[in-house]
Amino acid sequence: MTKKIILVEDEEIILNLLQRKLTLEGYDVLIAKDGEDGLKKMREEKPDLVLLDIIMPKKGGFEVMEEMQKDNTLKKIPIIVISNSGQPVEIDRAQKLGAKDWLIKTEFDPQEVIEKVKKQFSASE
Amino acid sequence: MTTKKEEEKISTLLEDLTSLESYARDLFSFLPLPVCLVSSVGIILEVNPAFENITGYNIEEIIGKPAEDILVKKEFEELAKETLGKGYVRAKELIIFTKEKKEIPASVSTILRKSEEGEIIGYFVGLFDLSDIKKTEKDLKSAQIALLNMLEDVEEARGRAEEEKNKTVAIINNFTDGLLVFDPENKLSLINPQTEKIFDIKQRDIVNRTLQELKTFPTIEPLVLILLKETKEISRKEIQLKENLVIEISSVPILKGEEKLGNLIIIHDVSREKLIEKMKTEFVSISAHQLRTPLSAIKWTIRMLLDGDLGELTLEQRDFLEKTYRSNEKMISLINSLLDVTRIEEGRYLYKPALTEIEPICQFVIKSYEEEIKRKNITVDFKKPEKRLPKIMMDVEKIKLAIQNLLDNAVRYTPPGGKVTITLKYGKKEVGFSIKDSGVGIPKEQQSRVFTRFFRGANVMRMDTEGSGFGLYIVKNIIEAHGGKVWFESEEGKGATFYFNLPTKEEFAEFLKEF
Repeated sequence: MTKKIILVEDEEIILNLLQRKLTLEGYDVLIAKDGEDGLKKMREEKPDLVLLDIIMPKKGGFEVMEEMQKDNTLKKIPIIVISNSGQPVEIDRAQKLGAKDWLIKTEFDPQEVIEKVKKQFSASE
Repeated sequence: MTTKKEEEKISTLLEDLTSLESYARDLFSFLPLPVCLVSSVGIILEVNPAFENITGYNIEEIIGKPAEDILVKKEFEELAKETLGKGYVRAKELIIFTKEKKEIPASVSTILRKSEEGEIIGYFVGLFDLSDIKKTEKDLKSAQIALLNMLEDVEEARGRAEEEKNKTVAIINNFTDGLLVFDPENKLSLINPQTEKIFDIKQRDIVNRTLQELKTFPTIEPLVLILLKETKEISRKEIQLKENLVIEISSVPILKGEEKLGNLIIIHDVSREKLIEKMKTEFVSISAHQLRTPLSAIKWTIRMLLDGDLGELTLEQRDFLEKTYRSNEKMISLINSLLDVTRIEEGRYLYKPALTEIEPICQFVIKSYEEEIKRKNITVDFKKPEKRLPKIMMDVEKIKLAIQNLLDNAVRYTPPGGKVTITLKYGKKEVGFSIKDSGVGIPKEQQSRVFTRFFRGANVMRMDTEGSGFGLYIVKNIIEAHGGKVWFESEEGKGATFYFNLPTKEEFAEFLKEF
């Protein structure tokens, strides 16, 4: 079965790039441009993985994770954070909120994101 | 005809007269007061030896001279007139001229002398030399003047001292910094209004108290604790008293020659500077974060293009994109350094230090530079002690960054074919790291600025335009945040050796206590 991924990211280019890359890899990719939209789509679509940015309009990544923790249907969905920043304090906080991985955009290539996604799915199988 | 009896009587009388005359003459000669007899027309008829003495004339020279020769003419005329009229003059102060034309102040008295027939023969003039008295008088006068002058000086000095004191008090009271003065027994002797304001405390409540007593006043306690701990001079030590109140304390001894008169504590309010510094750091931090977003977008786009995800590229297109990618990477690394610097300045730099071995970190960093080392044909020698190094407390990522910055410099500034030696040593209280290169070195005149922000060697600016000038500043801050020390030795053209020490676990715990 095709894995469903929701991409929550406000930066248009990154969004397009990742959507394209992931689609090419054969995933079913849904996009959301802010946290609120992201949560709404998660509830409707029940994705297998969430790629989540941190600084976004309306609702930031941390708030999204906090709400997912409170929601039993969303709690189990694995999250990979994709952020511009990557301070140890932030990473710790994200881990506590259930994030499986943290990618700093400037330090990774899109291909590496794909690797992380693949790794995540193989780990959960 | 006279009788014999009468003759005898006359003879006796004559004898008496002679003896009377001799008596008068003896008395005249003996008299210590200068006396002369002046005729009614003002000619000196007779003088005694004392008169000769005072005037300097001998008797032959003076007899027959007009008296006005030795007196002021006008004064003598008055004297003569008064004497002839009244019969005497008592103690009149006049000036006598000696033969040498010296002036002598004298008190002059006269008495008229008449013949038996009542005819005026002349008058006696008696002198009393006043020069000694005058001199004493003059001395006394000048002594008095001197005394008065002294009194005046003292008064003036007192006035000046008073003024000086007022001035000092005014300066202390109006000083924009808070001042506290402690006497040699370490009792508080004065504070200025600024200090009262900073610590929200009144002078009358705390003055004359010892440091121990002052500890009980909560607002001033943070300062007292530092003063109790630090016995030496304090230079610009920072304390945060309240949310928006940061002060800098300096302590200097008040010395008068060798003697210590007490201690002066200066409290400088740096809240505004701190706020501005914070705003500046935040500004840089936010800008750097904002800059990262488009940089990562560029990075990912180029990467995808290069990966052929958006179609095949020509060789030329690929070449341009690769160069752009590398420039973008440099920009990212510069922004990262900038963020590191702002984090250092915000004081939130170290993250969860843990007991770690340093050797694998060195290995890891060296390995990450393998390609560059090979490309430049540089030999990297890693010397470690046979004994296994103890684990030390550190923020691994930060130490990695410090070593990486040092190795990056060593490789960057060592010409191809050169050598870099990394050495680890274990001391009693610390682990020592050193990295020696055979590179260009640091010009002597620039060596004092090596660890400052934006430092770049003048010699490397010419050969290499890369490098942010943040590297060694970051290294220094990382090492110092671990309680370590960093230093270097270098000679231009011969390379440089950078050293750092990191304290062992116990020492590090001691270091952290100070925060």
